[in-house]
Amino acid sequence: MTGYLVRRAGQMVLTLFLIITVAFFLVQAQPGDYASFYALNPDLPPDVREQIRASFGLDKPLWEQYLIHLKNTVTGNFGVSFGHFPRPVMDVLIERVPRTAVLFLTATVFSFYIGFFLGKAIAWRRGGVLEYTATISGATLFTVFTPAFALMMIWIFSFRLGWLPVGKFLDPLVWRHADVTANHVFGQMLLTAFLFTVFAFLVLWALRKTGRVALARWAGPLIAVGAVVVLLLWSISSVGGLALDILKHMVLPIVTLTLISFAGTMLLTRNSMLETVREDYVMAARAKGLPEKQVRDRHAARNALLPVVTSLVYSLIFAIDGSVIIEVVFSWPGTGLTLLQAVRTEDLPLVMGAMVFIGLFSLLAHVIVDILYVYLDPRIRYQ
Amino acid sequence: MTNPQSAPVLKVVDLSLRYLTRGGAVKAVQDVSFELAEGQALGLVGESGCGKTSVANCLMRLLPDNAQLVAGQVLIDGQDILSLTEDKIREYRWQQIAMVFQAAMNALDPVYKVGQQVVEAIEAHGVEATVSLARERVARLFRMVGLDPALMDRYPHEFSGGMRQRAVIAMALACDPRVIIADEPTTALDVIVQDRILRELKGIQQQLHMAVIYISHDIAVIAEVTDRIGVMYAGRLVEYGATEDVFRAPLHPYTAALMGSFPSIAGEKRVLANLSGEPPNLIDPPPGCPFHPRCIHATEVCRQEIPPRVQRGSQWADCWHPLEESAVPESVEAGEV
Ligand SMILES: Nc1ncnc2c1ncn2[C@@H]1O[C@H](COP(=O)(O)OP(=O)(O)OP(=O)(O)O)[C@@H](O)[C@H]1O
Ligand code: SF4
Ligand SMILES: [Mg+2]
Repeated sequence: MTGYLVRRAGQMVLTLFLIITVAFFLVQAQPGDYASFYALNPDLPPDVREQIRASFGLDKPLWEQYLIHLKNTVTGNFGVSFGHFPRPVMDVLIERVPRTAVLFLTATVFSFYIGFFLGKAIAWRRGGVLEYTATISGATLFTVFTPAFALMMIWIFSFRLGWLPVGKFLDPLVWRHADVTANHVFGQMLLTAFLFTVFAFLVLWALRKTGRVALARWAGPLIAVGAVVVLLLWSISSVGGLALDILKHMVLPIVTLTLISFAGTMLLTRNSMLETVREDYVMAARAKGLPEKQVRDRHAARNALLPVVTSLVYSLIFAIDGSVIIEVVFSWPGTGLTLLQAVRTEDLPLVMGAMVFIGLFSLLAHVIVDILYVYLDPRIRYQ
Repeated sequence: MTNPQSAPVLKVVDLSLRYLTRGGAVKAVQDVSFELAEGQALGLVGESGCGKTSVANCLMRLLPDNAQLVAGQVLIDGQDILSLTEDKIREYRWQQIAMVFQAAMNALDPVYKVGQQVVEAIEAHGVEATVSLARERVARLFRMVGLDPALMDRYPHEFSGGMRQRAVIAMALACDPRVIIADEPTTALDVIVQDRILRELKGIQQQLHMAVIYISHDIAVIAEVTDRIGVMYAGRLVEYGATEDVFRAPLHPYTAALMGSFPSIAGEKRVLANLSGEPPNLIDPPPGCPFHPRCIHATEVCRQEIPPRVQRGSQWADCWHPLEESAVPESVEAGEV
């Protein structure tokens, strides 16, 4: 296990180095530089123009600029953003990365859960209405042009039905008199979500430890009670309304992202499960007189899960660029939108910082999937 | 040997099963009938594809989607299990009939600990009240089949072939079933391990007084552990009788040919006959006696009409020209090419 982690860490460092190098030169390859936006102003005398460029370090030779940015990245201090001057890059990212992470993680968990659930159901009962509806709608959503679909969702749920806000992170009218920042409220929401997840896992784990089937049945109700208590506490707190506003803004992007990505998991689960239902151990489970649901979930689907989890790594890539598009369409101020703006304005420090975070995030996801796989398949051990 | 007078636990009456395929209906089981008393061991033999596993699957009522039960009854204590509801059949499985699978290698789910998979069966039938009692039971079963109870918490991939086979036997014993079907329980193992496990299984069977159906294509293996033998060919039971009678003097030429094509483990090696050719296509089996294309005794009548049942003592066979008791060696020798 340690050997595996060391190897993985080495790969991570190398990959990150490549990512930022490529990002740096790609941004530089665009015509002009950050200062062009000022420098194009015809009222500026040439010496002021040069002064501006010099103040950003843009007058230095390319390799020297590269080394400066590399040094900033390696020391973990990404410098000061050109575009958000004088905010340090780190400050901008710490505000935006969690917004993306939440969007992305929630949508991934939902789409994985829905996809797996539908996939196993349609593999178990072939040829039903469910199979046709799920396969056709899933495949359509999977292949549809994402921005068009996102706009359609906004049109239906925001303009026609008026149920949900059009986009952005919050509604300024609601926050006009608020004496806390959005980041503060959002941070607390994240903390709550994290603690609640830990609580749910602890309940499941503790009840399973007792080894009594009758007790394990109480896990669901117990977690539900926990959820009600949490919601109650939030609704009586002073920032409940503000949190609700942020939540409302999250719904549409998450639903959209989930809808366009669940079909991948669904079709994979279906195919994988069509293999496992033919396995002898599934027949053996049925011969033992286990209830059909147990045969399906604990044996057929459990084994079908293994290749699906492996492919999760690849669907992560898909989800990352999906979330950039979603952030743009919904004006969601996360890492994706920030990166896109930074690239357009050649805000080099911010591009590098955002790339490092996205890279770190996807590498971390890889490691988590690897560890999950070891946990799920006892035959595999990393040496 | 056991008391032949005891009431039958299992009675199979005129069982017929077919598989619907693109090419037509595969008549995998046709008019199969037999009885099994408590404590008795029956062997089903026949070449690959002659319907042994299909019979076993009917007894468990564990059939693939394209299988169609045409006729017949499977009675356990007089109750026809083919007419039970899905819920009832679930209770019946493993408590009444359990199975040692043909491919023991794959009958264990790779992602769960071996002991857990036995516990699961015990829990499903409420045989023990708590998990710890169930685990104690598994430990007893493991000792019975010659496995260290500490192996309960290991995964199947950590087991050798022989250990998995023993684990699968322990799993079959989990709910004290009345009948156990052992479908080619040891074919994947080497001869020595195979022989030892079969002997142990026989010991357990006598100790627990269970009825067992052994299925194999190797008649010599069957002969050592059974008191009854049923020979299957092309989906039909073609000969049936007490093992020693069938062995001493088979009635059906197919039985004689089977005996000839396998060296006996115990006795000296005698090659009596070669069985040439392949079993027939079960979508469109030959008319008359299905064995006639390969039978050295076949005559015109065999090619046209279904053979009658001939009885001799405990033994019967469906054949127009049953073998004489004394005629066995010569007539089979004549078959050598
Ligand atoms: N699901 C199925 N669909 C179509 N045909 C099948 C199916 N299962 C079995 N068969 C056919 O039915 C016949 C009997 O098969 P069965 O598995 O019962 O034979 P067997 O005697 O157990 O053979 P083996 O010694 O190889 O295990 C074979 O011809 C086989 O090809
Ligand atoms: S009936 Fe005829 S063909 Fe069939 S086994 Fe007997 S002798 Fe051979
Ligand atoms: Mg078979």
